[in-house]
Amino acid sequence: MASMTMPATLPAAAYRRYRIETEAAPDLVPLPPRFRVRVKKHRLLALLLKELLQFRGNLPVVLSRPCVYGVFSGPLGGLAPREALCVGCLRCTVQYPYVVQIMPNPQRRRLGDSYFQPEDVETLLYEARTGRVPVRGAGYRGRFGGEGWDAMWTDMSEIVRPTRDGIHGREFISTAVDIGERPPFLRFDPEGRPSGPLPQVVTVQVPFLFDAPPPRHGDGSTALLAAILAEAARQLETLAILPLPLAVEAGIGGSHVVPLVAPGEWPWLDRLSWPPRVIELDGWDRARYLELRRRFPDAVACVRLPMDADVLALADEGARVFHLAANYHGRAGQGFAMDLIRRTHLRLVDDGVREDVTLIGSGGMVMAEHVPKAIICGLDAVALDTALWVALQGRLVGECVDRETAAVSFPRLQPEWGVQRLKNLAAAWRDQLLEVLGAMGLRDVRRLRGELGRCMFQPDLEREAFAGIEGYGS
Amino acid sequence: MEADARRQAPSHSLAAGVQTRRGRLWGAIRDALRGSARAPEPPTQQLIIQKHVEALHRGYHVWPALAFGRPPAMGDARWTADLILATWVQAETGRPPENGLEYRVGQSGGGFDALDFKLLPEERWVPEHEPIDTSIPLNQRDAGPKLAIPVPWYGAGMSFGSISEQVMLARAKAAQEWGTYTCAGEGGYPESLYPYRRHVITQIATGMFGVREETIQWAPIVEFKYAQGAKPGLGGHLLGDKATVAVARMRESVPWVSLFSPFPFHSVYSVEDHKKHIDWIKAVNPEALISVKVSTPTDIDMVAVGSYYAGAHILHVDGGYGGTGAAPEIAKKNIAMPVELAIPRVHRFLLQEGIRDELILMASGGIRTADDVAKAIALGADGCVLGTTELVALGCTRCANCERGRGCPFGLTTTDVELCQLVDPEWGAARLSRLYAAFQARLRDLLRRLGLRSVRELRGRVDLLVYRTDRTDRQAGVAGEGRRPGLAECLEVDAVAA
Repeated sequence: MASMTMPATLPAAAYRRYRIETEAAPDLVPLPPRFRVRVKKHRLLALLLKELLQFRGNLPVVLSRPCVYGVFSGPLGGLAPREALCVGCLRCTVQYPYVVQIMPNPQRRRLGDSYFQPEDVETLLYEARTGRVPVRGAGYRGRFGGEGWDAMWTDMSEIVRPTRDGIHGREFISTAVDIGERPPFLRFDPEGRPSGPLPQVVTVQVPFLFDAPPPRHGDGSTALLAAILAEAARQLETLAILPLPLAVEAGIGGSHVVPLVAPGEWPWLDRLSWPPRVIELDGWDRARYLELRRRFPDAVACVRLPMDADVLALADEGARVFHLAANYHGRAGQGFAMDLIRRTHLRLVDDGVREDVTLIGSGGMVMAEHVPKAIICGLDAVALDTALWVALQGRLVGECVDRETAAVSFPRLQPEWGVQRLKNLAAAWRDQLLEVLGAMGLRDVRRLRGELGRCMFQPDLEREAFAGIEGYGS
Repeated sequence: MEADARRQAPSHSLAAGVQTRRGRLWGAIRDALRGSARAPEPPTQQLIIQKHVEALHRGYHVWPALAFGRPPAMGDARWTADLILATWVQAETGRPPENGLEYRVGQSGGGFDALDFKLLPEERWVPEHEPIDTSIPLNQRDAGPKLAIPVPWYGAGMSFGSISEQVMLARAKAAQEWGTYTCAGEGGYPESLYPYRRHVITQIATGMFGVREETIQWAPIVEFKYAQGAKPGLGGHLLGDKATVAVARMRESVPWVSLFSPFPFHSVYSVEDHKKHIDWIKAVNPEALISVKVSTPTDIDMVAVGSYYAGAHILHVDGGYGGTGAAPEIAKKNIAMPVELAIPRVHRFLLQEGIRDELILMASGGIRTADDVAKAIALGADGCVLGTTELVALGCTRCANCERGRGCPFGLTTTDVELCQLVDPEWGAARLSRLYAAFQARLRDLLRRLGLRSVRELRGRVDLLVYRTDRTDRQAGVAGEGRRPGLAECLEVDAVAA
């Protein structure tokens, strides 16, 4: 993290290009195989006999297998297929439909919940395991657009774009964002010294923070989880939001920890043993907000609100940093995060105060693409929640809808493993953010905030394309 | 050199156990049992390839008959199992399937899958004996050769290295047979394609791989690839494992080293720069038509006009759901719009600018069926560019493992010397040719039922389309599902297939 109070010029040796160290962090709990390989053994034996005769005993020919991934290369070949190696190419079943069938493994369908789809969980686990961007052959396989974040496409620029080299490492694209207050302009006294309010911001190197874990866990590993979140945030040079009592009791502190202060937890502030850089007030209470600012004058004070709250009214009262929280399915009130963020952002723009305000958002942002999309809609930064727990192989118990009722069952967490998983996830997401920024020709994620001209919404495009077609809109 | 030799040698994964002691013993017994009068057998490796090729061909024939139901793990929302199997049928028979396989739409819930045609009552159909013209021109400008193709599609750019030489050859042969074109992608093309060079589009992309003076001079069409729908704004990437000695030689690079085509063209930052590129091609080959391949950003309409003023004959719009040998998943799903939504925007803007009839608009990126071709044209395109569809016709199951390990296990998107042999160019050309015939037949049938005598009359006729919300969640037909043959019947499959 960097502060605006840093000297204007740094010695050359102080410059360090931001980088996330990735390292393989295999799953603690093995995932069920993607596919089930069903071999009818009597038919396989019959096939082998038939081929023995056909090829006159030429065993290399008879025993040559259709799988290039090694599913049938175990000691017993097709009699004991190695399902974990199956990638679903279907070559075996195309060649020998009466011997082998490949089926999607129903156990995989149980991953996640109704919002956090099994495919999303698989992708996220891959990212946490490897730190890599998921790359596959063939084209897109999903539905045409969709609901929520899927109803939005990001833009690209065909030619007029001199900054594309960023993702190939030749030119730097910044993913750092600022959280805090920035007056629209500076004031100076006659001697040239600043006389008005100064910017008070904390810079994080990636536009995502770690949000507070759910209070309920299957195995009571809250403190360990919090420690993993905090350490990963420290190493990634971002922030971890933790409930104040949890942070104090677990002895977790430091400039990378954001204490979350709920109304009933005010006395815990006396036990805070470190000066926070950012402190978050759960819900709006003007008196408490002013008290927080008085007690922690050097800290950025953030207010956590439901995502459908009227931010503009609170901005008029002096609040400048807001954490807009939707539930884990991205909903608040009657709206979805994408629409609510856009609405808030545009209101602030219309009122001329958008540059004074920082918007952090959380809830329902579970895939890498949700980060740039949320920023385009108007967020400065995203606070991640369920994605982090899934990366740590947390199993969502039932529907994981909101913080109060969500239950997540974790495996026996190992601190170093957990930190590496979150670093891997952050690296994969940052690289994907660079892809999106690079495609647009942007060299700074700050520039992406509220760039609604750089996205396309499915309903708008369909209206334009299909408006003259009978049946559309009916 | 050692590494080259290792990579060029067959991996023997198909022939596991070749060198085992038991194998040698059995070989000795087998040799003793064989009479010396027997004709010499082909080498074992060749027998292995032959065995698998025959089994694959049998599978392409047997599965669409639905005797085993639908492969449970096959297909996705865009390419359903039915669409894949129906494409196999069309590649085998030259006509649409008649056993209940859904060959017209997928289950993506929108775009082409939500559109249908408003067919006329039978008495207003074009009579059977009247010809239906499916040809389209490729040059509507005053200057340049007046090329036309008999069907409103040609083959998409797939490079040597991303696909095998055998597949390239199959595509080129089919293109020549039909009088249309195929595109060699970025990476040049091997000598085996020289006889077909009047039907090969030369592509120039940002890496300039394989671009030679002679391939530009031979080319009837030169395509500038600014972007690709599946990875818009991300350039190209050939994985090191696919950059074999032959591929690297063609690209004038180092074998087994990954190759990037960085984006964008660093010499093109404006329409004027783009015009300079086109002028350069005209200096090398004044007879070549110029195609400009772009993705689908929000300002695609402006890009189209810019391409026109730069002198392009063809604007090739590649939508976000297009195919690829390898691309980040985030790009495929999220960057740039689907082609269904881009075509009307370009078509209308070109109309408003008064230049629609001078620029040919070709659409790609998710064109799977003859119905998709017709719908794209009704939305405003002149024709389409087929990529994935051709690979599916050659046996692709859309498993999305093109980039993994040795490449495509069906021998399509691979340079593995052993796997490549699974596709015989003649066999492949025949399948593509029959697929084209099936598509043309379906297109003619649609036009006839719409009362149109030429596919050119269909362009921009959105009044002939209907948006079907009931289609958005419709499941494919399930004819034949559930029936499982007995063992005896299964072992007879060979004979039946033959």
